[in-house]
Amino acid sequence: MSNAYLTYAAKRLGQAVVVILLAYVFTFVVVSILPGDPITSVLRNPQNGFSEQEIGEIIAAQGLDQPVLVQLWHSLSGFLTGDLGVSMRSNRPVSTLIAEVIPSTLILASSGLAVALFLAFAVAYGTQVLPKRYGQGLLRAFPSLFQSTPNFVIGLFLIHLFGFQLRLFRVIEPDSFWATLFAAITIGIPFSAQIAEVLIANLDHEAKQEYASVARSRGIGQRRLFTRHLLKPASLPVVTVIALTVGELLGNSLITETVFGRTGLGSLVQRSVSTQDLPVLQAIVSLGAVVFVLVNLIADLLYPLLDPRVKMVVGKKYRSTAAGEPSLDPTKAVNP
Amino acid sequence: MTFVSNSSLPVSRWQEWRAALRMPTIVALSFAVIAIVIAWSLAPQLFTTYSPVVGVPADKLLGPSLSHWFGTDHLGRDLYTRVVYGTASSVSSALVAVVIGVLFGGLIGLLAGFLGGWVDILLARLVDVLLSIPKFLLAVIIVTAIGFETINAAIATGISAVAFFARVTRSEVIKTRQATFVEASFLSGGSRWYILSRHVVPNASRSVLPLAVLQFGESILVIASLAFLGYGDPPPSSDWGLLISIGKDYLKWPWLVYAPAFVTIVTVLSVNRISRWLRKTD
Amino acid sequence: MTDRSTLLSLSRRRLLLTASALAAVTLVATTGLSPVLAADTPKEGGDITFLIDSLGDTWIPNNSAISSFQGHIWGHVTDKLLYVDAEGKVSPWLAERWEQNDNATEFTLHLKSGVTFSDGEPLDAKAVVANLDIWYAGRKNEGINPIGLFPKTYDRAEAVDAATVKVFFKKPTLGFIPTLGYHGSILISPKSIAQPASAQADLSKTAGSGPYVVESWKEGDHVTLTKRKDYNWGPAAVGHTGPAFLDTITYKLVSEPSLRVASVQSGQADVAYNASPQELKSLKEEGFTVATPRYLGFVNGWAVNTKHAPYDDVKVRQALQAGINRQEIIDTVYTPDWKLATSFIQSNVPGATDQSALLAFDPAKAEKLLDEAGWVKGANGIRAKDGKELVLTIHSNPYLATSKSVDELIAQQLGKLGWKVVIRAYDVVTYGEKVKFGGAAVPTYEVTRSFIDAGTVAGILTNANNGENWFALDDRDAKINELRDSIAGAGSFDERSPLLNDLQKHVLDQGYFIPRTQIVQRIYVQSPTLKGETYNGVAYASYYTAFIAD
Repeated sequence: MSNAYLTYAAKRLGQAVVVILLAYVFTFVVVSILPGDPITSVLRNPQNGFSEQEIGEIIAAQGLDQPVLVQLWHSLSGFLTGDLGVSMRSNRPVSTLIAEVIPSTLILASSGLAVALFLAFAVAYGTQVLPKRYGQGLLRAFPSLFQSTPNFVIGLFLIHLFGFQLRLFRVIEPDSFWATLFAAITIGIPFSAQIAEVLIANLDHEAKQEYASVARSRGIGQRRLFTRHLLKPASLPVVTVIALTVGELLGNSLITETVFGRTGLGSLVQRSVSTQDLPVLQAIVSLGAVVFVLVNLIADLLYPLLDPRVKMVVGKKYRSTAAGEPSLDPTKAVNP
Repeated sequence: MTFVSNSSLPVSRWQEWRAALRMPTIVALSFAVIAIVIAWSLAPQLFTTYSPVVGVPADKLLGPSLSHWFGTDHLGRDLYTRVVYGTASSVSSALVAVVIGVLFGGLIGLLAGFLGGWVDILLARLVDVLLSIPKFLLAVIIVTAIGFETINAAIATGISAVAFFARVTRSEVIKTRQATFVEASFLSGGSRWYILSRHVVPNASRSVLPLAVLQFGESILVIASLAFLGYGDPPPSSDWGLLISIGKDYLKWPWLVYAPAFVTIVTVLSVNRISRWLRKTD
Repeated sequence: MTDRSTLLSLSRRRLLLTASALAAVTLVATTGLSPVLAADTPKEGGDITFLIDSLGDTWIPNNSAISSFQGHIWGHVTDKLLYVDAEGKVSPWLAERWEQNDNATEFTLHLKSGVTFSDGEPLDAKAVVANLDIWYAGRKNEGINPIGLFPKTYDRAEAVDAATVKVFFKKPTLGFIPTLGYHGSILISPKSIAQPASAQADLSKTAGSGPYVVESWKEGDHVTLTKRKDYNWGPAAVGHTGPAFLDTITYKLVSEPSLRVASVQSGQADVAYNASPQELKSLKEEGFTVATPRYLGFVNGWAVNTKHAPYDDVKVRQALQAGINRQEIIDTVYTPDWKLATSFIQSNVPGATDQSALLAFDPAKAEKLLDEAGWVKGANGIRAKDGKELVLTIHSNPYLATSKSVDELIAQQLGKLGWKVVIRAYDVVTYGEKVKFGGAAVPTYEVTRSFIDAGTVAGILTNANNGENWFALDDRDAKINELRDSIAGAGSFDERSPLLNDLQKHVLDQGYFIPRTQIVQRIYVQSPTLKGETYNGVAYASYYTAFIAD
């Protein structure tokens, strides 16, 4: 590795750290705008019968009446030393809470990604192989249909049909194989739309290239053309799409987990949001930022390996995650 | 024979007209759907005789029929009426979201792309932060902070789209700024402001428009998702997402979910097709 | 080695327990309580799954005991000193007897012996003192709250000997004894109490003395309880004191009400909590057990802010009282399992009297009252006076799932009378911040609250002695203050009952409190094979006595 590359890598890493810290502060500022916190709201539950004076005493005893800046300083200095703090809602360490739910979300997200890739490649395959008049037009409409369907509707439909009508899985056991599969389908369908669009556009592009017509003139079948020649170059931009949108899996897990009753990061966000549990929200947002930054870093490193046509331009961003090149924009890639 | 010629005449005229607009049937259909949706939101009372708020409690949870196209809900209100009356809020909130996203995102992208230098670096970091937080998570956190109402959900959705539009605008601005005709204009003594308003903004907005239309469809979905999680208006408002959310409590009467869901999907799908068509004809 | 020693101690304990069980059985026989199990022979063993909409927030016992969700788990994992049944009757539990001095400032509790916590600690006088202390004071700087309803007049408690506790109060505190049977007063092992808050927040690290212990739990997902085989100190009032019958109870979080019910219907679970009232009728027809126990407390209704115009006008309040069709609420939102409110306290509370005449739906009367008060119907159907519209802003109660539906229906009903009703729905956090009794923008505060003794009600309604001043009356109504003082000073039920009746009549006639329906805050849909469960004074289901019948 050259010196210039290392400088570049260090710079990128520094930027990443700054972005993560800013995301942390951003969450703090946004959530602190509104008065109220989980502790006061529990105290105010009328069943408790606390008077306002008692509530004030308890709040003061826990330092919640300190100025916002002081609280930000405490929380930020904790974060910098690796201490994520204690959940205001459940009084348990935030790191424990997150560690508890992360496996479930990882399973959901990775199987959702697998479903999305499978669907996207299946649809893309169909558009190249099926005869023009039949099926192809319909298949080409699939991505926009997938993109237009709210994923909670997909989830409710799958639960209704397979959970209750066909009784394929027990709704109260969301971690069982079938329930996980249907949750993965729910989260994967909207995601597959973006991948499929890019894939189809690129396949169409590649199919018009000279080498494809040469291959066709030599009498190669459409199927073989697809698998042997078109697939590899066309799937390269998919890596970029996944890198840019993988964070959305975390966002969408919020809905999917709620619909299927899974216990994961999404449902933790849901619970923390409803009680304004600041430390947990801050930790999850920074986690999302870390994932985003890491995945994009990996994609940057992978890209030149996958596509020999991309020459690494050392010292200059060949692929920016920030403001940037239109080719990275998944929606633009439809019409290159 | 006369029959054929008579009927073929209007068809060919129709085709001519369509060819002039270069609009496929599906896009025409999409425009029709959007026209209905706009009509619903402007004058809902023209499309139904029932009240969206006051129901007949004795007629609760009836299935779809001729008198109640989408059935009735748990308080005996006509669901079709509630969908029609909920259109205005669903559509206008999505519009608000798009306007916020395009306006703020566009401004950031314009400044970053046009001014460059430290302004670009500073704004790029801001966009990076917004971009690094999953969009839906960002929307949820913002709506928590500013309160659970449909308009706030719209604002949150708009803010979560700012980074996207900032990026697109910036790259368009840079492209245009480097174009020869802009450089020529610069050389011939055009002021920065003149170049910005005359060349850069129109060029950038041409490619932002289809994306804004696409974002409109997506905003409907995001706001519906927020409403589904309970971050929307209180009753008796009947935003589509809210209706689906209420319907999920009554899964035994599935039309309460599927009817508003169907309307949502058809609307977003139409918007999607239109955006696609705009990009192709660009 | 350790295995053997626990076995030994178990058998020793067993001996003791058999003796106390005998005593308990004779107690049941003499008090003439018919045990639930008399009808069916309970079967040992079995596992049940209870589907619940939430598992609350923190598990610090003091902070979570009154949670409508976590109370279910605490009820099985912990015991109380006294038992309060669904009719408000107090009976002995871990305190076998008690005495008090004449002015109710000193109480002596005599504890059952041989009771242990699941961590092996004895439940003796020292343990009770530790519990009383933390109920009263909490550890505020650590985030352990006091128990809100515990008497603030508490001074100290002393362990006289291993089985005797003496409790001192600064002022007369008649309410102390019933408090001990309330859901906040759960007994926790002194070892658990000594733990820091973050350890207390881990449910598996807290030991109680109840018939079940926590086997496993995952936040936001489930809590699995397993039976304690050496348990032998159940409340005599439920007719069973030995170990529970069911092996395990799993509380599983399923947030959608329809999913909870459908799972019970398809046999995937045994109990669904908080089903939607709409589905109860068909569920009953399908043979499922539907339980809608009422708690002891206020009915669901509005406390009117008498400082907020136009509700400072008694005629407007009375029009509100007459303008609500309560029967239609039950017919539309609920089922016949919900009872019409007959007062502002639930009809099963000792001392509640029937004031139905004051709560009759009479739209003509309401319109007349509004006319008299100067509110004239405008062209748009909304009444106005001096250019101001007749508006009622209601804040949906986030603690009651059906609240929004009832609000919408009432908005329709009042709309016909010319009222403009605005519904505001906040999440729990915002609600706690913005909606308070007598708040400036809060004309009506929706009440759902349980209490221990009707005698305390008058104190809550007014502003004296830290009362909550529900109607923002301050001292403007001499009559209600007079009633409050004489109720507090009443020496016997015979003396108190007519005063309570006067209070109910006065509050309803003045339109201070607008009842909606009697409240069923906890709805249980249960598989027909599960039998023998009991409901206590706060309507929690206990499966201690439950079993699976074939």
